[in-house]
Amino acid sequence: MEQITTSLAARNTTTKSTVSGSGGEAVGSVTKRLTNELMTLMMSSSPGISAFPKSDANLFEWIGTIEGPAGTYYGGMSFKIAIHFPPNYPYVPPVIKFESPCFHPNVDIASGAICLDILQDKWSAVYSVQTILLSLQSLLGEPNNASPLNTDASNLWESPELFKAQLVKYYRPIIDESAA
Amino acid sequence: MASEALRNQVAAKWQDSFNRLNRGSQGISGLMDFSKAWAVAADFLRPRDLGAPPKDFNTHEVRGAFDVLMQCRMLPMLLESFVEDMRRNQHLITNDVMRFMAEYEVPTDSKKASGEADVIGRLVLLLADWYFAWAPGGELGHTISSAYIVNFQTHIFSVLPSTFAGGFKKLLAATLSLFTRGTTPEIPASVQDPKLWPSFELLGLADRYESLIASVCYEHIEVHVLETCTGKWDEPMLGQLREWMADKVVPWMLLPYARGAKTPEEARTMLQGVGSRFDFHVCKTLCDLRTKEMFDIVIDYPDSIPSLHDLKECLQRVDQRSQLVQTLRKANKKRLLHPGADTKDILTQYVSLIRCLRIIDPPGVLLFKVADPIRRYLRDRPDTIRCIVASLVVDGESGDSLVDQDEPIQPLQTAQVDDYTDPNWEPEPIDAGPDFRVNKPSDVVSTLVSIYDSKDLFVKELQVLLAQRLLAVTDGNYEKERRNLEILKIRFGEAPLQVCEVMLKDMTDSKRIDQHVQFQSSSVMHPTIISRHFWPQFQAAKILLPGQLHEIQESYAREFTTFKPDKKLRWLSHLGSIRLEIQLQDRTISADVPPLEAAFIELFSEKDVWTVGDLVARVGPVERPAALKALLAWVNRGVLREESDGADVQRFRLLESASTDAEAAPVRMATTGSRATLVEEQPTVLTVQQQQAGQMEVYWKFIEGMLMNLGGLPLDRIQTMLKFAPGYDRTVDQLGGFMDAARREGLVNVKDGIWRLNR
Repeated sequence: MEQITTSLAARNTTTKSTVSGSGGEAVGSVTKRLTNELMTLMMSSSPGISAFPKSDANLFEWIGTIEGPAGTYYGGMSFKIAIHFPPNYPYVPPVIKFESPCFHPNVDIASGAICLDILQDKWSAVYSVQTILLSLQSLLGEPNNASPLNTDASNLWESPELFKAQLVKYYRPIIDESAA
Repeated sequence: MASEALRNQVAAKWQDSFNRLNRGSQGISGLMDFSKAWAVAADFLRPRDLGAPPKDFNTHEVRGAFDVLMQCRMLPMLLESFVEDMRRNQHLITNDVMRFMAEYEVPTDSKKASGEADVIGRLVLLLADWYFAWAPGGELGHTISSAYIVNFQTHIFSVLPSTFAGGFKKLLAATLSLFTRGTTPEIPASVQDPKLWPSFELLGLADRYESLIASVCYEHIEVHVLETCTGKWDEPMLGQLREWMADKVVPWMLLPYARGAKTPEEARTMLQGVGSRFDFHVCKTLCDLRTKEMFDIVIDYPDSIPSLHDLKECLQRVDQRSQLVQTLRKANKKRLLHPGADTKDILTQYVSLIRCLRIIDPPGVLLFKVADPIRRYLRDRPDTIRCIVASLVVDGESGDSLVDQDEPIQPLQTAQVDDYTDPNWEPEPIDAGPDFRVNKPSDVVSTLVSIYDSKDLFVKELQVLLAQRLLAVTDGNYEKERRNLEILKIRFGEAPLQVCEVMLKDMTDSKRIDQHVQFQSSSVMHPTIISRHFWPQFQAAKILLPGQLHEIQESYAREFTTFKPDKKLRWLSHLGSIRLEIQLQDRTISADVPPLEAAFIELFSEKDVWTVGDLVARVGPVERPAALKALLAWVNRGVLREESDGADVQRFRLLESASTDAEAAPVRMATTGSRATLVEEQPTVLTVQQQQAGQMEVYWKFIEGMLMNLGGLPLDRIQTMLKFAPGYDRTVDQLGGFMDAARREGLVNVKDGIWRLNR
């Protein structure tokens, strides 16, 4: 009985991925790609950015950490982000949002949604987790005030004192909530 | 006081009875006839003692008497009186039974089973005699004879004591062995009596003790199977057993199971059911036996192949696969998977096991279940990979290779995913476990390599082994290594063995370069030039060769640099060997020695007496035991002599003339032996284990990454998350040790089992 159900389940996933239009072995190749990206990211040791799968069971949900670049409003702060990879990654960009509240012109303070061109229409399959994280890190220092998600922040951007006050008001340092 | 009516009724009854008995004859002559007939019939039927002289009956007269009684409808009365007579005479039979049973139960040691069977056999025959003596004769009709049989049997069963069953069993066994072993003088006559089986039937023993008959047969089969098949694995036994059944046991079975069969066809149909029951028992007994012996059968493979085919056939009939798995697992655990067993032996047994179980169960379900503990155990052994690799590199001469030489060399097979478009697809066997992998009958090497999750480990070990073997080659003939490498390439693929290819090429290149250098300026030195990048790491034991040895190196290096200007030689002076000719005052000694010994003796050309410390200081970082060993080698050759001046300092003196050491040498010889054992031969190439330490750096990056992003984690989570790291194969314990080391370095801290990064 068990075998019947498992084989049925296996067939389901295959058909599903065929529907989503990326061929029979899509899941396998995405997993492989993500594993490679993880390896590259781990070995690259870029300062201030890092990410890792949330659990060993699901390679499609990652948690990342971005440290604010020194010399910007965000220096000395670090932010948690959640990365969700769609099943047809890398043909479609991953869904990324801030978990820690981040007062930033291109970040929605409530939902954590990010307005970044490479995560939307400018996405290309050659980008990787590492490039995304680096882009986000630089976005902290150089926001795109032309398309703000947080108008308060974009209005305050030119007045450092006020901006910093708002930022500190919202900022919550990462507490080790001990994922036991 | 009887009333009129009653009186009339009695009178009518009387008249009626009288008429019945008198049958309308004149007066009471009918009545007289009747009483005469009754007397004759009753006398005819009366049970008599066997010893009594048989009475002569006129059959005509008896028949006439019975006719009369029948007309009077008095036969039931006669039957009753006959039964009553039987009851009265029962004591005669009871006496006989008691007599025989007493004889049977007499506890004498000398009495053998055949003797006991004889007693019971005689008893049965005697009872049959009683039966015939008392039987009322068939012509008297069915009612009377069946009433007789029931009464007679009831009586016999009531007087037979409980010990009779045991004796009867012995009797049956004796009759069976009469069929299977043939007539022997030991078997008493009563057992061989052809009347015996009809007697069983007459007395109702065959029906009453039917289960006993079956159990006798079962036991006999068991004894026979154990006798003939135990330890006999080199020929198929099942066929022989079935023949034996057909030739010996079936004729016997005809007696109890095909009673009353008139034609052979009838007998065959009657035997069909029982026959298959006994055939099943043969299979089951053989199956039990082979299951018990399985571990030794595996050891004896391939001599034991016929027994495996037997077992396969038995298992199809008897469903005892799970017993086989359990027994084998238990035997493996007890006899194989313990520290006393050599890894090589475990591997050999494992390979035999693979082949054996493939015969019994081609889909490999049994193998998967049995092999699992072995594979897990082997994974924990540190030298498993080395053993497998060593057996892959076929030596040619040594015949104890794990791999069958005749087997075609195939590329490694990886676990296949089910191909649903395959028209020949078959579902997994029904008793396959949830994590059963269908591995198609693959070759042994693939199975061995698949013990580990990645074949990288094997490639690394191969590299180390190849390095050792290449460096050990002295005659410049690398054909054997090339051949090995080609074979391995087929198995592991070209790409992973690229490094080995380079190593081999280094060896031939060295030869070519050396030829060129020699052509430019001849040197006594013939170095092997290897590409550091492609070779495993070497033991770092940098020694400096002194004096002329150093000069030779230098001049060779110069010549090499002119030949290959962009390259520079870095000497591994501690490897290789040097042929020396030492000219002393009175003799010349030539020897092939390792570099360290050569370096020491070269130093003795500067002065005659050295302390060990001074020598080591000149040569470089050499461990004292190694230095001592090298010096003692010279002492053995009679070139040096050890001098001790009471202090701790050991001195060695060069013996310019042999005569002075005449008395010292033998003494030294003895002690040298013991000292030499202190020094273990160090492998020149770093083992894979040592190299693995480097790999842990990679895993540390992953650990850092997960702890940074996911917060604190318990050790087992770290272990499972590390599966994202390619080729990770450490155990939790190893990881624990590693994390502890990281904690001591201040990188992480642990609290309540949760590991965190120090920030």
